Amino acid sequence: MSDEKKIEAPKPAPPPGPPPPKNPGMVTLVIDGKEVVAKPGTNMIEAAKSVGVDIPYYCYHPRLSIAANCRMCMVESSAAPPGKLVPACQTGISEGAVIKTDTEKVRAQQKMVMEFLLLNHPVDCSICDQAGECKLQDYYMRYDFEPSRLEGAKVLRNKRKKLSDLVVLDQERCVLCTRCVRFMDEVAKAPQLGIFGRGSHEVVDISPAYGKLDSNYSGNIVDICPVGALLNTDFRFRARAWFLSAAPSVCTGCSRGCSIYADFMGQDTYRFRPRENEQINKSWMCDKGRLSYKGLNKHRVQQNGLGRGAEVKDVTPIEALRVAVEKLKAHSGKVAFMASPVASIEDLLAGLAFARDVLKVKSVYVSGRPQGEADNFLLTADKNPNRKGLEVIAKAYGLELKPFTELTRAIDTGTVKALFGLGHEVPEEDEVFAARAQKLELFVVSATNESKVVEAAHVVLAASVHVEDEGTFMQGDGIIQRFRRAYPPKGDSQPHWKWAVDLARQLGLEMKATSSREIFKQLAPQVPELATFEWDKKAPMNQKRPGISTMAASADGRPPGWREQGVPNLRGLSLPPGT
Amino acid sequence: MSSHSHHDPLEKRELVEADIRERTYVPEILKGIALTTKHFLRNLFGERDPNPDVVDRKGLATITTVNYPEEKVDYPPGYRGLHRLVPREDGKPRCVACYMCATICPAQCIYIEAGEYGGDDEHAESRVIEKYPKQFVIDELRCIVCGLCVDACPKDAIRMDTYTHVPSEYNRQGFVYDIPKLLKGPAVSHPSDPWYKRGSSAPPDHVHKEAHTRITAGGAALAKRPPLVEVVKFAKP
Amino acid sequence: MRLGVVFVSLGLIFGGFFALMGGAYALGGVVEDFGRTHGVSGLASLTNILILMLMIVMVFATLLTLAERKWSAFMQDRVGPNRARFPGLPNASLAGIPHIVTDVFKMLTKEAFRPKNASKVLFALGPMLAFAPVFALFAVVPAGPTLKIFDHPVMMVSTNLDFGLLYLFAIASLAVYGTSLAGWASNNKFALLGGVRASSQMISYEVALGLSLVGMMIAFSTVKLAGPDGMSEMQMQYLWSTRVGSFDLGLPAWGIFIQPLGFLLFFAAAFAETKRAPFDSPEGESEIVGYFLEYSGMQFGMFMIAEFVEVVVLGGVIVAIFFGGWSLPFGNEWLMNLAVMKQYPILLGAIYGTVFWGKTLLLVYLQMVIRWTMPRFRYDQIQKLGWQILLPVGLANLFVSGALILWDPSLRALALFGFFVIGVFAFLTLTPPKQVRQEQEAADDHHGGHGHAAPAPHDDHAALPASTH
Ligand code: SF4
Ligand code: SF4
Ligand code: SF4
Ligand code: SF4
Ligand code: FES
Repeated sequence: MSDEKKIEAPKPAPPPGPPPPKNPGMVTLVIDGKEVVAKPGTNMIEAAKSVGVDIPYYCYHPRLSIAANCRMCMVESSAAPPGKLVPACQTGISEGAVIKTDTEKVRAQQKMVMEFLLLNHPVDCSICDQAGECKLQDYYMRYDFEPSRLEGAKVLRNKRKKLSDLVVLDQERCVLCTRCVRFMDEVAKAPQLGIFGRGSHEVVDISPAYGKLDSNYSGNIVDICPVGALLNTDFRFRARAWFLSAAPSVCTGCSRGCSIYADFMGQDTYRFRPRENEQINKSWMCDKGRLSYKGLNKHRVQQNGLGRGAEVKDVTPIEALRVAVEKLKAHSGKVAFMASPVASIEDLLAGLAFARDVLKVKSVYVSGRPQGEADNFLLTADKNPNRKGLEVIAKAYGLELKPFTELTRAIDTGTVKALFGLGHEVPEEDEVFAARAQKLELFVVSATNESKVVEAAHVVLAASVHVEDEGTFMQGDGIIQRFRRAYPPKGDSQPHWKWAVDLARQLGLEMKATSSREIFKQLAPQVPELATFEWDKKAPMNQKRPGISTMAASADGRPPGWREQGVPNLRGLSLPPGT
Repeated sequence: MSSHSHHDPLEKRELVEADIRERTYVPEILKGIALTTKHFLRNLFGERDPNPDVVDRKGLATITTVNYPEEKVDYPPGYRGLHRLVPREDGKPRCVACYMCATICPAQCIYIEAGEYGGDDEHAESRVIEKYPKQFVIDELRCIVCGLCVDACPKDAIRMDTYTHVPSEYNRQGFVYDIPKLLKGPAVSHPSDPWYKRGSSAPPDHVHKEAHTRITAGGAALAKRPPLVEVVKFAKP
Repeated sequence: MRLGVVFVSLGLIFGGFFALMGGAYALGGVVEDFGRTHGVSGLASLTNILILMLMIVMVFATLLTLAERKWSAFMQDRVGPNRARFPGLPNASLAGIPHIVTDVFKMLTKEAFRPKNASKVLFALGPMLAFAPVFALFAVVPAGPTLKIFDHPVMMVSTNLDFGLLYLFAIASLAVYGTSLAGWASNNKFALLGGVRASSQMISYEVALGLSLVGMMIAFSTVKLAGPDGMSEMQMQYLWSTRVGSFDLGLPAWGIFIQPLGFLLFFAAAFAETKRAPFDSPEGESEIVGYFLEYSGMQFGMFMIAEFVEVVVLGGVIVAIFFGGWSLPFGNEWLMNLAVMKQYPILLGAIYGTVFWGKTLLLVYLQMVIRWTMPRFRYDQIQKLGWQILLPVGLANLFVSGALILWDPSLRALALFGFFVIGVFAFLTLTPPKQVRQEQEAADDHHGGHGHAAPAPHDDHAALPASTH
């Protein structure tokens, strides 16, 4: 009641001419009794969001054009013709408007829209991957909660249409919000999808002009589809959404370094989802990067190894460290150092310090993944997420960076007889380098994944991947991004920086760091580009996914989101869930 | 209101001075002996009725023993016994690997791995469901027999109506039940089952026709459906 | 079917008694004959030791180990041991008899464990000292009449001591050494507690035990148990009797009739001596386990078998003292004078022997049934019962009996007093205790009058609101 009095107050104000804006240059309005000050041109949904009022919507997406076809966002506005509701997604705000999102009328509208959307919806949530993060489910529980009144059969459409190798469409579940169509058109710039048919036979399909869905950004339509109509074949049926926890991370697929969430369960990553980052990737990521999570699970080096070829044997970390130290001592002063720009800034800070102060190298060979194709949106040709970081650190350390070709030449000519590799990625064919490496008298590598290069090493130190530790990357444009730890390192692996610290201490250099944070705090001040980065403050919130929290974080010492989903040892069945 | 309370002799029992009969022991002992001897003689001369329902036993003997492995007491109706995965008419599990049971299970003893039926492989008749459990494992040792999985299942695919308990095993691995061990018992159908509506996940040919006549078509389809709920119960052993 | 099995088993048991006793007489006669021809008399006691004690008592006790479990099962509506099987008979539980065999195997094959700090000698001595005295008790108990076989008198007792009853007391009090030594030697607190409880209990009840028999001693003016002038045989005399033809009918002067109080006292005291429930606080499985806590294997088996031997021997002793020994209640003269009995005295011996063991069997059953009826006494209750009830009642019984015997040496007055006592107990047993009576009255009141004194016809209480009352 008191709210309404406040609202009525300005009404009898001078009828001729609009009143001067309360906040010059801004629009001031009232939404559900709360005063909102917003930039002109903001729509009602965003304005309401800023004061914590949720207006439900399906078709609206902040980065797409407004279609206003789902009618879920209808609200009452004093600026609208009396008795009419306005779509909050499409209607701009106006000075002094009074918007109500929770009236009888609005609620009735929401109920009707939900009933209509669900009329022919199959509601097969039990086999729908969207369940748990589905807007139909959420809004049904919040705004509808009525049984269906449909008598007779529902309209049947194609439940499993493979749009591409990555995307599968269930036309029955689609609510025809056209987000996917608009995305392909406006963001991916490849209008490969369209809406076809009329009435209850309207479906999303591939537009005949293209005949196929092959954009490198098609994975994003799965993310923006508010329901389970578009699904990712790679993730399909692998896990339920509520079992997953999300760690804010960075895609390491290319030097763009898209911000992502790594969705994980136990000690496996199940998928990457783009995380909003206005500077880099907006709300999107490419399909190549989306699938790059697989390397975090599969073919990982989990045990430390000694020996090549037939003498390969797994050893404990302590034994591996002992042997590595012994051999590095034997080649003291003659060890070359190669660093992979796939490793994080912390890894390189520690690794290069170890190279300079312990191995006494003057230059560092740059390894890393080979160049690849690029496109005109996000994907870059440089497949290494941290080349910029390597460059600035080497410069600050006074180390010369030498290209990889010089290393191969030096090995061929015999100038380099002992090599330490931080990271196993090499810019040439693995087999080729492996054959070269046979000439080396000593090859120590701290490696994350198995490859021919790793097989050629005398000492393999198992290294963890970025989602298994906290850290930072510097992407191609020089933007530094923090990523968070999802789960502890697999097997016996430990981060590159830890190996560098352990080796340095065994070889007589005092390094005290026990975490990547300490590494950064101790070593980053030497690097001007990093010195001002606020490592702690820039850490994105380590948020869990909405859904069922199966167990409070570390209630019994487990990481958040941990669920005992290990494969039971059963009659020869031992597929890790990530395969 | 208490004026009309029913007089219960047991309620009013107070500690009274022991009677002479009790203080001399002998009369009470004699009575006790008489009672014990009565039972002794009845059980000595009477034959034990092996009826596992001890309350209904007939005859002279008053023995209530059930000679366990040879005779077994029937579990009461609603007993939560060993799990089973309910088969469909075609013998495949009804389960669609929705993980509801694994989610609710407080013991976290259900492990599921979902698989997808291909478009036109040997599971053609199953294509309408698409999702199936590649692995469905219950660790019966960990199970606390709460029955929540049965309640949670949206497909009536897991039941505890076997009226047996988990049999003993010689090793722990034997208690880990997988699909071959779990899939048993009578098949179950419900009229809402998707295979009564369509043959596969592809759009049916008559899609146009049905759109215009769907009330009648639906009615005809309803007529062909099986009875609403088929109550299936294991025969008691 | 089951009835048949039961009767056949009973027949087997009594047939066994009959055969064994007949054999005992025959063997005794043969040996005695052999002895006399070589100038030694009384050799028959050797065979009596062999047959009476080693065979009958031991086998009896062994069977009792099973019988106790089986009988108690029946009393408690259970089945009892039935899982062991003889090889080749996988489906026949044979009333649990194979359990005896398995038990023996178990006892013999289990490790005889001795705690590290236990006293070696005393620890080993414990079970023997517990076993030997109870076994030796039976030496003075006559299991049959003295008969002339092969022209020599054969007594059915191991040794006919003039001081039979005193021997009983003497030997019985020895048993305390076994238990207290076992408890002490085990070097275990609980075993020691058990031993202490056992010895104090046994010593306390010995007083009552002795006192309870004095009445019988003065009634028959003897402490001898066996032989024609022994207490056992003297109970054959009639208090009142009549004759039907050659059959003699009457009331014998059995201890139970002339000394019912003495019997109760003796039974209770002897029960306490055997340390069986309800006097088993020295064992007290649920609290201290008892003086044999540390024993295992056959050493424990000795304790156990001693207990069962004790049951049999106690049964025999009570029969000899209070139930007329081997004699029938009436018709003894008629039976002894039958021509066939005179011709075959072994037959007569076998019959009387069977009677003796039959009575003993009943007494054994009585002990079992009491054990499975009564809960265990608290320790203070045990002492109270011994000192504050049994002892004064025993003394009173002694004085009253003595006076009555003085007044009427024919024992009839004593018997009348005995009947009075029995009658009092019967009355008390057959009438309900005061509390039950009160409750019954209260219940009757309630049903009869609904607690309302008003003479008005009963209204429908349920239909009225409660507030109207
Ligand atoms: S889209 Fe949503 S409502 Fe529809 S089946 Fe999937 S989870 Fe259920
Ligand atoms: S497929 Fe999804 S995004 Fe596309 S129109 Fe349907 S509901 Fe919207
Ligand atoms: S009965 Fe309970 S504990 Fe057992 S599997 Fe089902 S949900 Fe889990
Ligand atoms: S809840 Fe039912 S359908 Fe879902 S996974 Fe469990 S058994 Fe299968
Ligand atoms: S969100 Fe406004 S109409 Fe769909």
